[in-house]
Amino acid sequence: MALETSPESPAPLRQISMLIGQWIDRMGAVWVEAEITELKRRPGICFLTLRDLQAKVSIQAKCHVTVLDRLVSPIVEGARVVVHAKPSFWDANGGLALEIREIRPQGEGELLAQLEARRRALAAEGLFDPALKRPLPFLPRVVGLVTGKDSDAERDVLENARKRWPAVRFVVQHAFMQGPKSAPSVIEAVRLLDAHDHVDVIVIARGGGSLHDLLPFSDEALIRAVAACTTPVVSAIGHEPDTPILDHVADHRASTPTDAAKTIVPAVLDELAGVAQARQRAAHAVRRLLDHEFAGLAALRSRPVLAQPHVLVAVQADVVSDALDRSRRALRHRLDRERDAVVHHLARVQALSPLATIQRGYAVAQAPDGVVLTSVEDIPDQFTVRLADGRVVAHKVSIQELT
Amino acid sequence: MTDEPTYEAARDELIAIVAKLEAGGLGLEESLALWERGEAVAKLCQERLDGARQRLESAAAAQGDDSEAT
Repeated sequence: MALETSPESPAPLRQISMLIGQWIDRMGAVWVEAEITELKRRPGICFLTLRDLQAKVSIQAKCHVTVLDRLVSPIVEGARVVVHAKPSFWDANGGLALEIREIRPQGEGELLAQLEARRRALAAEGLFDPALKRPLPFLPRVVGLVTGKDSDAERDVLENARKRWPAVRFVVQHAFMQGPKSAPSVIEAVRLLDAHDHVDVIVIARGGGSLHDLLPFSDEALIRAVAACTTPVVSAIGHEPDTPILDHVADHRASTPTDAAKTIVPAVLDELAGVAQARQRAAHAVRRLLDHEFAGLAALRSRPVLAQPHVLVAVQADVVSDALDRSRRALRHRLDRERDAVVHHLARVQALSPLATIQRGYAVAQAPDGVVLTSVEDIPDQFTVRLADGRVVAHKVSIQELT
Repeated sequence: MTDEPTYEAARDELIAIVAKLEAGGLGLEESLALWERGEAVAKLCQERLDGARQRLESAAAAQGDDSEAT
């Protein structure tokens, strides 16, 4: 489209935008094969990103939600589709997007959609209920393994399990892990292992693969067989982002066969070390208790009342000798007091004695019977006169009264 | 002896006897009788502890044999 412009007479942007829009409009609606790499639902409208199946070429797209909802199986990101769309240019912001009028899932896209529908249906039946998930045994008697003959997955599971617990027992049931015979083969293997008395856990393992390779693990009959299994089942399908439906119905999902080996078997050496340590600690604790009691008993037995019981007797002996001392002391006190009293009385007696008076020259006249004569009237014919150094026997000659 | 007391019962009795004797105030006869009982009980405690130690040691010896075998 020829348009005369120059630096001196440039065209306004709006004119250019309008022309671009007209140019793009000429293309009209086309059928396009692409992969949906992004899908954003909004009220009434959907924004998508389409990408070329081979080249690094992508474009924005949009459509009315009814275009999506019209489909039997829901469209998901990653779906390969064929769309009927018209390129549209919005001159307001210069945005370019494909306006999609119709979407047809194609090839893998269709497949993915089918799988998604199947997954939803089975989920609705309750087959994936977390309450139905069986716990894995801590130490399985036998591990059942469903895997391809001589496959990497087989080797990964066996080697890694034996590393953790050298004595682990496996029963391996080989099966076709891809192709049209795969689903029945895996179902048969699972049934055999489930029926096995000592198999306490079943692992279904294969390495990564394409969507088609992993299709058997979304097979409805297989899913139902695993759901009906009484032995816990571990799904160990190493894969890309697509999740085979087996992952949902299994009692445990391992991301790879190696991961499965680590889950089904404990690290026995670690456990043994733990047990040994526990035993040591228990023995140590008991020894500590015993030592404590021994020490306590020794302390008690060394107490004087037990070790030197004559202390008990000595106590009584002390009581006796103590009493004896006290009584003797009391007696001595009493004697001292009496002696003091006697000395005191003697002094008084001596003080009262007339001897001093007599020594000064006074005499004491006494009748023969000892009565002291105090009056001249009482004097008998014979009487004694007591002087300081002796007695005189005297006769009355005459008396003279004092007036 | 009909019912032999547990180790704990014997030990607790021993502690009580020692406390009583140390508190004093008992008659001579009573003190001696209590002391004799204390001796008997202490002997019982000693026997029990020795027995326990013996059990522990023989178990440890057996365990030593086990771990040598594995």
